[in-house]
Amino acid sequence: MKRFSGQTIRSSRAHLLATAFAAGSLLAAVPVSAADEVSQERLLNVQNEPGNWLHHHQNYSAHRFSPLKEINRDNVKNLKVAWTMHLGGVEGGGIWSHGGLEGTPIAENGFLYVTDGWGSVYKIDAHGGRGVLVWKMDPKTDHDWAGAVACCGVDNRGVALWGNLVISHTLDGRLIATDKETGQVKWQRNVADPDKGEVITGAPLIVKNMAITGVAGAEYGIRGWIAATDLSTQKEVWRTYTIPGKGEPGSETWKDNNNAAAAGGGSTWVTGTYDPATDTIIWGVGNPGPDWDNAYRPGDNLYTDSSLALDATTGKIKWHYQHTPNDPYDYDSVAENVLVDLPGPNGPRKLALEADRNGFAYAIDRTNGKFVWGLPFVKKVTWTKGLDAETGKPVEYDPNKAVQTYVASVTPSRTNMETDICPGNMGGKNWPPTAYNPELKLWYIPVIESCNRIKVEVATPDKLKPREFWTGGGPSQPFKITGSVTAIDVTTGKIASKLETPFPNLGGMLATSDLVFTGQPSGEVTAHDAKSLQKLWEFNTGGGVNAPPMTFTVDGKQYVAILVGLGGAWDKWFIDSTPELKKIQPGSMLYVFAL
Amino acid sequence: MKLNLLAASTPMLRVSVAALAFAMPAVAYGQAAQPASSDPTAAGKAVFAKANCVGCHKWHGNGGGGYGGDALSLRKTALTREQIIETVGCGRPGTGMPFFTRGAYDEIKCYGMNRQDAGAQMPPEGGTFLRQKDIEAVADYVLAHIKGAGEPTYAQCVDFFSSGSRVCDIYKPKEEKPDTTASMGKSQ
Repeated sequence: MKRFSGQTIRSSRAHLLATAFAAGSLLAAVPVSAADEVSQERLLNVQNEPGNWLHHHQNYSAHRFSPLKEINRDNVKNLKVAWTMHLGGVEGGGIWSHGGLEGTPIAENGFLYVTDGWGSVYKIDAHGGRGVLVWKMDPKTDHDWAGAVACCGVDNRGVALWGNLVISHTLDGRLIATDKETGQVKWQRNVADPDKGEVITGAPLIVKNMAITGVAGAEYGIRGWIAATDLSTQKEVWRTYTIPGKGEPGSETWKDNNNAAAAGGGSTWVTGTYDPATDTIIWGVGNPGPDWDNAYRPGDNLYTDSSLALDATTGKIKWHYQHTPNDPYDYDSVAENVLVDLPGPNGPRKLALEADRNGFAYAIDRTNGKFVWGLPFVKKVTWTKGLDAETGKPVEYDPNKAVQTYVASVTPSRTNMETDICPGNMGGKNWPPTAYNPELKLWYIPVIESCNRIKVEVATPDKLKPREFWTGGGPSQPFKITGSVTAIDVTTGKIASKLETPFPNLGGMLATSDLVFTGQPSGEVTAHDAKSLQKLWEFNTGGGVNAPPMTFTVDGKQYVAILVGLGGAWDKWFIDSTPELKKIQPGSMLYVFAL
Repeated sequence: MKLNLLAASTPMLRVSVAALAFAMPAVAYGQAAQPASSDPTAAGKAVFAKANCVGCHKWHGNGGGGYGGDALSLRKTALTREQIIETVGCGRPGTGMPFFTRGAYDEIKCYGMNRQDAGAQMPPEGGTFLRQKDIEAVADYVLAHIKGAGEPTYAQCVDFFSSGSRVCDIYKPKEEKPDTTASMGKSQ
């Protein structure tokens, strides 16, 4: 493939590498001295290269925090568009009329790597204050095959870098390694199977020469998993199911006679985090299926709605923490677990923070999976009176009950077939990522302030069919939905500040030393004071922000980048709650800002 | 178009047909993009795809639950041709089924109602408007290929998707299903 720009030095290195591959060398054996070879060493020490953004969530702890200070609270009012680039991937497929952009760009040494909803990867040269497309890798995703079983949009949240490869997923279930220099596909592997209702929307997490993949499909009767692929041999290293097999620990939490566990859901479609000190991957697990008929699947339904800690080398489960046992609300826990160390009297307190669809933010001791604190981060919660101070379980939770009812008057059930719940089934907080400022110890949650109406349909085994919805009901949107950014002081577990917004936050957060950046589905990208959340800057992109901002430097100059193109679940399933957003057009555009 | 069909239709439909007839071109929606076909309902199939009927009813028309609520099964529908035409043109009040006739509930009353009468029951507007001939074509397609067709089959799926998509693979009898591992690895 023709290169549109670049340097001869780089090209000759690419040639050498290509030769190395041809000679059968393992990627791990390639020397990592080259500045743009991505190694485990670099991934562990991203603080040494603050101008780059190497991880999907910025670092292994999912802080999405940048120490760059050229753009700060004093001058952010002068932030302007530096350049833009139109991308593709807007076309529809399956049940979707169009795609959207939910990705986080990766930045390395002046080049950006972004994806569109169908998984095309774009390498963009950002040198010289403008963006030039270097290459585009189009994986030719099978639109109808994948789009028919994507519950919530034509989405791809981005790439990862490893060695001289760009690692990405496609909605139709592939893991793809693309040569970073040439844009040529080096290899690809089927990890998920759309014939089973499995699709992939998340960015891969790279840990020690493995790509970790999560799966979506809990609305289609999948049995969820997290899988690790060796990037040298392209072989699967481990695959850990989020629903235990018969006789395995946790299988006793599926007490039905329907074999519900086999189609029990437990998706893993948001990229997780990694704690190198204990070689532990922490990953969120989605809702059980059928979503709204929990009497079909009596028991706690482990490990749905849980944070899971896995041994990174073996995939073995170390601990779990479940937020909503026997969930009747679609309150999944796929969200990223943010890893934070706080000073304590007996040494640092090692926490995993998760903002759940159920409206509560949790701090878990990540050495043992024990509850530390939890609090509601939304304005309205109706499904429970609160969390037990000791265990963090909803106070109505009764371990002796096979089918949980929580606040029974609002909880969807076979005797309460139509009911209104708060938060609504989108949360709370959905996939849009939080950010954490380690200097201020503030954690910023992008919030959907919502209620919606749930109608239950009794599930029966004959209704379970491959590639067909398996939800036991569905939501409708009789209520207006708004949003907020909620900042939590993690030293106290209390809300430090809250900024209400006219629309739900469908994009996510970026934190810098004294600012936070975010966006609105009505088009605005905004910057706020890190403490007060007061708005200091705004630019209207004219599209719908459905992706998180990030920041990087090129030639010593700081930029903020964000993908803009409203897609995902919202404009098909939830638009009636935000009627003003009906006028937002599909789009696919990268915005880059600078002073 | 046959006059006896008009006579059998509801008063609303007669109005809408009359209102639209003057603008009706000879070629149905989407037909130009389709290769010549011996199936007289090919134009209706194109409408079914392009008007995003598949978005809720799926390619097979069986609908199903999910985040958008339950789109009714067109395979199990008892609606007549006229009722299907009316439902596509006017939507279904109080549900997510949109209307596809330009001016429905405004200059053209639906089920005897204008927008004001429909109030909170007003159905959403379709993503595209369809001409009366296109609505009839999609109704004829539903009658010929979907209504009463039982469970979806591989042959029906392949017939619907002319592309090389793997969307139909699950309908294949087990012995015909390709080994998915065969496409793994260095396929490019």
